[in-house]
Amino acid sequence: MKNKKMPLIELKNVSKIYTQYGTEVVALDNVSLKIFSGEFVSIIGPSGSGKSTLLHCMGLLDRPTKGKVFIENKDTSKITGKEIAILRGKKIGFVFQNYNLIPRLTVMENVILPGLIVGEDKQKLADKALELLEEVGIKHRAQHKGVHLSGGEQQRVAIARALINDPIVVIADEPTGALDSESSREIMELLTRLNEERKVTIVFVSHDLDIARYGKRNILLKDGKIIRDSYESRLSEILKEASKTSKEVWG
Amino acid sequence: MSISRSFAWGEIKEHKFIYAIIIIVIGLTMTSFILENAYLNYMMQVVNDTTKTLTADAVITSSDCNIRDLYGTQPTIENAREIADRIERALPDYKTAIRVTAQATYGAGISSEAVDGCTIQGIDPDEDEKVTNIKDKIVEGRFFEEDDPILRGHTPLYIEVKGPGNLPDFTYGSGQRLFKYDKPYPIIVGATAAKIHPSIIKVGNVLNIFVSTSGRGTKYAAVTVKIIGLYESGTPTLDAMIWFMHADSLREIKGYGEIKGKEWHIPGVGTFRGFCPIDVDRNMGDTILVKAPEPLHQLDPIGQAEQVKETLASVVPGMKIFSWHDLLVYAAGSMQDVVTIMLWGSMGVTLFLCGAAIKYVMDSIVIRKTREIGSLKAFGARDRTIFKIFLYQGLFIGSLAGILGILISVLVMNIINWYGISVQFIAGTQLDIGFVVNWLTVLVALIIPILLSILAASLPAKKASMLPPVEALRKGEMSL
Repeated sequence: MKNKKMPLIELKNVSKIYTQYGTEVVALDNVSLKIFSGEFVSIIGPSGSGKSTLLHCMGLLDRPTKGKVFIENKDTSKITGKEIAILRGKKIGFVFQNYNLIPRLTVMENVILPGLIVGEDKQKLADKALELLEEVGIKHRAQHKGVHLSGGEQQRVAIARALINDPIVVIADEPTGALDSESSREIMELLTRLNEERKVTIVFVSHDLDIARYGKRNILLKDGKIIRDSYESRLSEILKEASKTSKEVWG
Repeated sequence: MSISRSFAWGEIKEHKFIYAIIIIVIGLTMTSFILENAYLNYMMQVVNDTTKTLTADAVITSSDCNIRDLYGTQPTIENAREIADRIERALPDYKTAIRVTAQATYGAGISSEAVDGCTIQGIDPDEDEKVTNIKDKIVEGRFFEEDDPILRGHTPLYIEVKGPGNLPDFTYGSGQRLFKYDKPYPIIVGATAAKIHPSIIKVGNVLNIFVSTSGRGTKYAAVTVKIIGLYESGTPTLDAMIWFMHADSLREIKGYGEIKGKEWHIPGVGTFRGFCPIDVDRNMGDTILVKAPEPLHQLDPIGQAEQVKETLASVVPGMKIFSWHDLLVYAAGSMQDVVTIMLWGSMGVTLFLCGAAIKYVMDSIVIRKTREIGSLKAFGARDRTIFKIFLYQGLFIGSLAGILGILISVLVMNIINWYGISVQFIAGTQLDIGFVVNWLTVLVALIIPILLSILAASLPAKKASMLPPVEALRKGEMSL
């Protein structure tokens, strides 16, 4: 049983600095935060605030320039790239804005893919995949190719795929970015249900306020810094504060 | 199937048309390689049966010998035995055999069939078995035996021809025959000569021949020979031309040794002498045949022939060394070499282009599938897994191409052999040998395309594996 007080993911004084055309760009500036089990976290902020960079550092897709990232108390700065890849495959599920399904694979094959990568048994994965597909409401399309599905259906497949290895956290980068409002709503309701019923920890990024509202914890980023980190459902207050500090936000 | 292999196979299926073209081109290139090698094997069988009758793997002559002299006009090597022994001491795996050679004419005085010429190769039966093994080529009659009259002593007529004209008859003046003996030298003749001169050349026939006793001069010894056997090498031209006598017999005829006896002169005819059996000097000979150890492969027989020559040259500097290939080129010209070089050259160019095509296709796959690669890495795929996806593609392409080449070659060779299409060797060979290919050629035909494809895939594979997942996810496009 997980210690509720032990964070699943912890960032300590994380900074990420890129060099672009000879100029240093500070994407994250001394960010510290903890993600706990069962949370449903939205990360919001204007374009260029460092949302995706924060997500990538959390998901071990990128190494911070400074600071440390801990996954279940394991310091990831001390492990090799190979171990990072293994940790990422087993502990973290990803949902991308453009779904990123493999076109030539069927829905079933796409879902079990992360499991095959980490070396799980194919038959067990298939059984589990069917359960997950049923849960996300797309089991009847299991043998169809991804290209034949609508955007909303593809994102459901991507969510099932993200859950196949029982990750400690699902990281979603603009999960509704490519969807219409109706599909977006369905996806967010699905994620909410997964969070509430299966206690799946979810961290997502969205520039859409209506989508961001689904998060029970809201983290506001600006210029690479966490401006506000609220567990309370006061998104509107957060947004007011955001609009005070940056007028171009969410015109 | 591992994730890398299944992804690699998936990529191949996704790009099946372009990869099919590449596989077919490489496969056909391998087909030409295999068939060329089968042809080389075929030619080597021909060479083994024909040219090597004269040269084995290499023939050593005196330094003033030309290649055209290999047909019986080689200058004498006074210390042939010493040289042969030196070679066998320095190169224990090499076998040597000394030969005495001469040109001869026969059929003179027989009105029904024309005068003809031949080259006599004097062989030591025991030595020759190690080097060329004429004994196995006997098709009628027998090989030399121990109690054959090798050294008999005789009264040959040595005649010096002062100018062009007919050779003299054996009977002069009073009609007295100038030589009498009842035991002619045993001789083995080519079966083709028997077909050309059926009344003269038969097993058991005794005939008189003129043997040239000077390298390039005009001195002849008239001797009597008895045909004890007919042989077939497979090349009618050589079979018609080359006769075999015991080396000591020819030494006696050519005077290689201590000659005892009387000399007398017939005015208007010439000087001649008769002698008792001479003490032949076995150190003397005209050529030394050398057989090299069997090579591990037959992929480059010409290169191997050159290697043998170089090895021998280091042991016997100052001597001239010819290989079977030199004789072949002299007889047939260098066209075979040119064809071989062209085939290998075109194969090399084709394979290079196919390798470049594979790299190009995979580079484009890396670009198009950048985001897919990023996704795989996000799901936990290691750099090595991504690397192996592309290497496996190379492996599959190379294997398919190699197998295709082998299958087409086998099909073509079976068709050739089934229809009995015989390939004309330049000397008119019609040998009963088929197109065959050895296991090493097949292995090479499989390994070359695999190595080529893996090599071509390695650079794109490295590039793909080094892609940082974040950058890969941002870039590229998914062909959804």
